[in-house]
Amino acid sequence: MYTSVLTDRRSFIKRMALLSAMTAAATMFPGILFAEEQERGLPKNGNLDWKKAPCRFCGVGCGVLVGIENGKAVAVKGDPKSEVNKGLCCVKGYHSVIAMYGKDRLTKPLIKKNGKYVETSMKEALDLIASKMKETIKDYGKDAVSIYGSGQWTIPDGYVASKLFKGCIGTNNVEANARLCMASAVTGFMTSFGMDEPMGCYEDIDYADVFVLWGNNMAEMHPVLFSRMLDQRSKRNIKIIDLATRTTRTSKASDRSIIFEPQTDLAIANAICYEIIKNGWVNKSFVEKHCNFSKGLTNIGYGLEDKFKFKDKPEKITFEEYKKFLEDYTPEKVSKLSGVSVRDIKYMASYYGDPNKKVMSLWCMGVNQHTRGTWMNNLVYNIHLLTGKISEPGNSPFSLTGQPSACGTVREVGTLTHKLPKGVVMNKKHREIAAKIWDVPVENISPKPTYHTVEMFRALDRGDIKFMWIQVTNPMVTMPKLKRYRDAAKKEGRFIVVSDIYPTPTTDIADVILPSAMWIEREGMYGNSERRTQYFEQMVEPPGESMSDTWQLIEVAKRMGYEKQFYYKEETHIEEIYNEYIQFHKGKKHGMAPLEVLKEESGAIWPYVDGKSTQWRFNSKYDPATTKEGFDFYGKPDGRAVIWQRPYEPAAEVPDSDYPYWLNTGRVIEHWHTGSMTRRIPVLHKAMPYAYVELNPEDAKRMRIKTGDKVKLTTRRGEIIMPASVNERGIPAPMQVFVPFFDENMLINDITLDSFCPISKEPDYKKCAVKVEKV
Amino acid sequence: MKRLGIISLFTLLFAVFIIVWNYSYQSGLEEAYIPINNNKPTSYFLENEGMEYSKFDLDYANMPFDENHQRTLEEYYKNRAYYGAPPIIPHSVKEDLNIGRNSCLQCHQSGGFSKRFKAYAPIVPHPEMTNCKQCHVPQKSNSLFSETNFKKGKFPEVGVNSALNGSPPTIPHPIQMRKNCLSCHATPSTPKKIRVTHPERIDCMQCHVQSNNNINISELEVFIRKNYTNEK
Amino acid sequence: MPIKSYLAHPHKDKKDELFKALSSIEQCEVIPAENKDLLILITDTQNNFEEDTLKEKLETITSLKLLAMVSGFNTPKNT
Repeated sequence: MYTSVLTDRRSFIKRMALLSAMTAAATMFPGILFAEEQERGLPKNGNLDWKKAPCRFCGVGCGVLVGIENGKAVAVKGDPKSEVNKGLCCVKGYHSVIAMYGKDRLTKPLIKKNGKYVETSMKEALDLIASKMKETIKDYGKDAVSIYGSGQWTIPDGYVASKLFKGCIGTNNVEANARLCMASAVTGFMTSFGMDEPMGCYEDIDYADVFVLWGNNMAEMHPVLFSRMLDQRSKRNIKIIDLATRTTRTSKASDRSIIFEPQTDLAIANAICYEIIKNGWVNKSFVEKHCNFSKGLTNIGYGLEDKFKFKDKPEKITFEEYKKFLEDYTPEKVSKLSGVSVRDIKYMASYYGDPNKKVMSLWCMGVNQHTRGTWMNNLVYNIHLLTGKISEPGNSPFSLTGQPSACGTVREVGTLTHKLPKGVVMNKKHREIAAKIWDVPVENISPKPTYHTVEMFRALDRGDIKFMWIQVTNPMVTMPKLKRYRDAAKKEGRFIVVSDIYPTPTTDIADVILPSAMWIEREGMYGNSERRTQYFEQMVEPPGESMSDTWQLIEVAKRMGYEKQFYYKEETHIEEIYNEYIQFHKGKKHGMAPLEVLKEESGAIWPYVDGKSTQWRFNSKYDPATTKEGFDFYGKPDGRAVIWQRPYEPAAEVPDSDYPYWLNTGRVIEHWHTGSMTRRIPVLHKAMPYAYVELNPEDAKRMRIKTGDKVKLTTRRGEIIMPASVNERGIPAPMQVFVPFFDENMLINDITLDSFCPISKEPDYKKCAVKVEKV
Repeated sequence: MKRLGIISLFTLLFAVFIIVWNYSYQSGLEEAYIPINNNKPTSYFLENEGMEYSKFDLDYANMPFDENHQRTLEEYYKNRAYYGAPPIIPHSVKEDLNIGRNSCLQCHQSGGFSKRFKAYAPIVPHPEMTNCKQCHVPQKSNSLFSETNFKKGKFPEVGVNSALNGSPPTIPHPIQMRKNCLSCHATPSTPKKIRVTHPERIDCMQCHVQSNNNINISELEVFIRKNYTNEK
Repeated sequence: MPIKSYLAHPHKDKKDELFKALSSIEQCEVIPAENKDLLILITDTQNNFEEDTLKEKLETITSLKLLAMVSGFNTPKNT
């Protein structure tokens, strides 16, 4: 049976001897390394070369090891050294490399000529883009050109985009898909703490006793972190509470599933604060020393009309006034509104109030994609501030993100209309810093923000914007009330450039399509939800003429006459850009790790001070930027965080007799974002081939709908027909339906509502009124 | 004398009590601060940790050989997108609305014959990880969204990993998440080609060494090509 | 044909020296650890006599602190 191919016995025995010696050495010195050079003769499986990278998909930012063979990525495994995932990935991560090898990969630039796409050279395409931009600026002004990117932009991509548009051209028309997913988290952080991004880190999971998930189906959306929680549960006595509008895998795996009526999370959070104050669970010394109380405007609208403007007017209040305000939110009153039992409200409040329990709150799109998203973020912080459960291991309000570099690029580089890499365009000092580093006259940078994402597409519709460059995202699947914006893009006189790796509904509206190099086909960095910046090298060659988004922008910038600012050399441009960029963040509050550190380690958490990551900010035990003992919320001038008085206000569109159901949208574990990558991974597509509408079993029974039946969904924006799903992946509450948005053949966003949070401008994809009929 | 002895014994006990109590009081005071361990993360899966028997009381040696329902190695590999990928779930799943846990473990924790699938359930080598559907997904469709150029690559072969006739073969695959050798090599669902003939011997790695170019696969990415002799 | 593997511990700061000394011996193969003061030594000799002379040689190396045998194989010459 054993037919040996090893003819040289002697060398085999030597190898065995070597291996046993190595094993012995490893038990004596864990982590010992032997030079690869010496191991030529060892039997190998293929010639796999394993290289580290952050995962391409979600904001968790798992460390993966990519196996390379003959210049192709052929395998993936979790990086056991990564502090994020400790060696475990999810099904998307394990199959991520397959996303690079779809047959319909874009490999050549395409230009639309007489309604047909014609292959061309990269040089010609870039020339055309540059001349079109120059022409548009000349004819219609600089605010007629715009760029729309995403949290999938690497840090260098976003940085050069901002430098070109804000610094050189002089328009603040820079936005990113992240506006649709974490803008409310940003405004929440800014209003409560004056500084963006979580104070804690994933390690909090290892210390917390209670986890409250605010509308967050972690088992599917952040499975690696959810598994880390489950791992803790198998070791210690912890509780997972799932507070949601729909029964999901997370609900089933948690210790308590609490279902609430959409939008009433605002009231529930206030009721928890009411209980905390009523029962004397307030951490008085913490609140007195470290918190202010404020209120803002109420009845703030929903942004449904074009050119909607809103500016909050914060006003300080006293603790007594705040206490009085909360009297409207007794558990009894809120129970009636939200459908959550008084007992459940008190149950959650008792955990937040118990000084011996460490509590972690986690949330993502449920709280952020909310017409009162900023308020909702504030309200969760209120709970943690009142009880002083913040900025220490295990006590952590934690805002999760969905894109690999939503934090690293969009939030930290600041690819939003009002942002600069450091600070905001409205601030003269911040403009001066940017002008100096960018080597542009300070007058170049406009002090006025222009359009946030929804308004940017509205401006395209109105004709205020004529030229738009879309990189690494798929707005023709993700925009709410999509039809209006698809029609807008097709209008005469609009010029759309799309950089992507596959044909998508967004490339369908393009005048020029540029093939991009993705992920490990180029060099770059991502920044994940826990402030961790991670580097990846180029591991494989991009196909055809594909070019990284960074280099596309640099080539166009040079053609527009900005050679001085875009001096980067092709071989070293990523390093040069990163080193230029981190000058913005110098200092103890936001210092970034040098590139050498990122290359060596599985990323580093900023503020990176004196060679060390800062895992917990605002706490003098861990954060060198604090200037006093204990806590110092240094984002605010007086070092105090803000507890906000934010009331409950109804959703923009609520079910009525014509449209009696709530429509909720979201994601599934198999697909990431719009599925343009994951659907090209056979394993994932076969597991989840198409979208569906989930119904509550009672509703389905009444309407005689069973799984697979065709169902028509109608809203005031339009209608769509899709198959029903009953008692499958999720169970919506009665009179609610849920639809995943990944399927470009069933565009649910055609019928969603483009209402948004007036403060963050982030749309609410989770709530609108819909009619459900069996076809 | 006896009395003195008893008194000194009690004095001694009392002194010990005082010391212990004082110590516990002091450590109670310190608790407000959680010391943070700055060491590198302890991985869920240590490659060079010893082998484990299944914790679930399987008598591997007495498990049936059922030639008629044995899988082939090809079938075993068919469910993987590449060598080392988490296998798909090749059967329909009763309940979509759970993370896996007990409903998967019912069959896959200890194995056994399933009349429904006319096959023996493979045993999971990592039953402590309960969010099964995080990595393993069923297949609902046979069609593709678009064709792919991704090639499966080579899977390790059997019978080419030994030096001599009868010498113990080396382990041709990484053992991350597969510490329990017997769950794949000694159950009724084990493909004939990779079935172990001597499941009663516990310490597999005594004779079978890993042939993946390193002892600790996790260290691979930090390898730097260095010619030692050329240094300084 | 005895084949043996050892862990060789050098004296402090003598790793390079030890590496050179061991590499110069014909029957020795040396694999140094990259990040620890340790070398793996594989010796391959034709017979017991050669083995004994090699041992004597090894004992004369001054930079060597400790030599710990891990495994040894000795099989008849044929095949």
